[in-house]
Amino acid sequence: MKSCLKAVNNFQEFCFFLQRKATDQLMLAATDISNPGYSVLFALLLFIGASVWLGTLAQKAMEKKEFLKGFFLGNRGLGAWALALTATVQSGGTFMGFPAFVYSHGWIVLLWIGSYMVVPLLSFAVVGKRLAQLSRMTDSFTVPDLLRERFADPRVGLVSSIMIITFMSFTMFAQFKAGATIMKHAWPGSGVLALSEDYEPTAAEKAESKNGSAGAAAKSASKPIDRKYYVGLVVFTVTVVGYTLIGGFLASVWTDLFQSVMMVIGVTILVCLAVPMAGGLEQATKTAIANTSPDIAFGPGYSTIGREFLTPGLALSMFFIWIFGGFVSPASMVRVMAAESTEVMRKSICLLSCYNCLIYIPLVMTCIAARTMLPHLDKPDEVIPRMSMLVTEGLPFGPFISGLILAAPFGAIMASVSCFILVISSGLVQDIYVRFLHPTATETQVRRATNVSMVSVGLIAVIANLDPPQYLQALVVLSASGGGAAFTIPILMACYWRRTTAAGMLAGMLVGFCFYFGLSAAGWIQNWAAAAPEGSALAQSVINFLGPDPKIGVPGLFRPYYIFGIDPMVWSLVVSAIAGVCTSLVTKPPSEEHVSRFFDVAVAK
Amino acid sequence: MPDIQELPLLKSAKREAMVALGIWLAATIYSLGYCFKYGYGRDPESLTYVLGFPDWVFWGLVMPWGACTVVASVFAFCFMKDEELPQSGQ
Repeated sequence: MKSCLKAVNNFQEFCFFLQRKATDQLMLAATDISNPGYSVLFALLLFIGASVWLGTLAQKAMEKKEFLKGFFLGNRGLGAWALALTATVQSGGTFMGFPAFVYSHGWIVLLWIGSYMVVPLLSFAVVGKRLAQLSRMTDSFTVPDLLRERFADPRVGLVSSIMIITFMSFTMFAQFKAGATIMKHAWPGSGVLALSEDYEPTAAEKAESKNGSAGAAAKSASKPIDRKYYVGLVVFTVTVVGYTLIGGFLASVWTDLFQSVMMVIGVTILVCLAVPMAGGLEQATKTAIANTSPDIAFGPGYSTIGREFLTPGLALSMFFIWIFGGFVSPASMVRVMAAESTEVMRKSICLLSCYNCLIYIPLVMTCIAARTMLPHLDKPDEVIPRMSMLVTEGLPFGPFISGLILAAPFGAIMASVSCFILVISSGLVQDIYVRFLHPTATETQVRRATNVSMVSVGLIAVIANLDPPQYLQALVVLSASGGGAAFTIPILMACYWRRTTAAGMLAGMLVGFCFYFGLSAAGWIQNWAAAAPEGSALAQSVINFLGPDPKIGVPGLFRPYYIFGIDPMVWSLVVSAIAGVCTSLVTKPPSEEHVSRFFDVAVAK
Repeated sequence: MPDIQELPLLKSAKREAMVALGIWLAATIYSLGYCFKYGYGRDPESLTYVLGFPDWVFWGLVMPWGACTVVASVFAFCFMKDEELPQSGQ
């Protein structure tokens, strides 16, 4: 009896000990929330492992087929899920920059992204079927190749090829930096958790690095780029280039699919935990209003710096930008070309529509709720990492779940980088090497050229990111929307208008892009003048000519110039259409025989 | 003598592209119109909530978002036509 009592007593003590230990740990987790420990690193390794595994699977799937088409187009066998979830989800930016916007500006960001309600429909229904048909008729697997055959003019192929390679390179370089930065922060003990695509040092860090006299030690400690960054950069590059090299197009699509599914799971967990914690959605909005200002529930959005985030003009622009920047982006066109059948496209419309509903609206809800739990974050970029750790804290496997949520943007970055590498190297190999340099290359030579081009793209990306210059960001913004400005109208013309000439195509592409570039450059000059010290005569004359900073849109050094408050992209579309159509009309019509090949069919009477 | 006709895929693709662009135009006009009218320059006191969303967000964005998802699915399964894609190289 006595021993029994003692045992019970011991057991109670043991239970108490366990409880105290758990509380201690909880306290630790609560005080040390900026340090994710090993769970994130573990989740990242899981993502890397899964990607490499998918890469080897993909390699098996494309064996015994013609190398180029298998490697760069997966033998045109994409199914509905693969097509839907990978053709338009553009980059990790959607899941990193976007939540920060919601946290900073409030409900209006749902209007900013609002056109995603029709993106799935437009991405497959406007040019999808026709592109798939044309790419098969011309037997091409890159967009420049398709255009070159369609107009029987190498110049169209060359110009579009150079434009695509340039645009995609800049977009891709920024993604490398983001990937390396995430790897760096995932390292246990790194402290900060800024899942930002372009890492911005904090104000304190900036101030410190300005005071160079504070001594070398302080300087090196405050320098945002350090050894962990380089390790991250190398690990990231080797992984992505590695599995893309092994598995080609299919590897890229499958990893993209994998991360898309992880992403939707993560977002669902987040919203289901965060909104009840904030006391329901209505209460969350009310608390957000109390913590900030009523502006957070209305347009043009809450702002602490007196800049209107989304004026009606910019809201209108966004309904053009997401649509027309999306379905003509080279990455998404290539995937449509790889679709197995038109049935796959129909299913994809439905799947992607549902997917977008499940991603964007819940993300907005989560970040509104974040204003209750984390009312005043210094760095809005941290909203998703912090929320995911906060809401999973008490759960079984909490750290692991938050690790997965945190790793999902990393997966998104890997997937988009591998897609960009493919498009760029397919351009280098097919459109430049095979078409211009070595038309009689054997399969072994082509394969070697592919390997060389991919590895060099990776190497160049590493070198460019060792110490990225600040203006790189401008080139990134420029190439992301510039592609839409350059290709939307020409692609529509190539698909549907018989009278389109090669000269019209060139005019549409070049004028669209140059106009966009001109307006962006005007914005940079305006920004420079606005920041210049008072009394500078040149800056004053620039301000007189271009007008003062309109105080709208996203702040930043590389804000474009808005005519009537509308984004340059919209104007470029208009100008590109005028240039393309007029040039086509004044140049010699294409031969009827050639056009008929792509537009007509002979039917026996 | 064979008759020359427009490719059947081209015909249906053109029609579908026009309808899709029409849906985009309708969604844009409705959403932007509603949000401009009720989401900008409102008296904060007059804000009501529908299912927890601010009223203008629900009627101007969430509701049309749902509607577009339904419309897109109907479009995909009832309107869009399947066509034979040519074999590569033909």
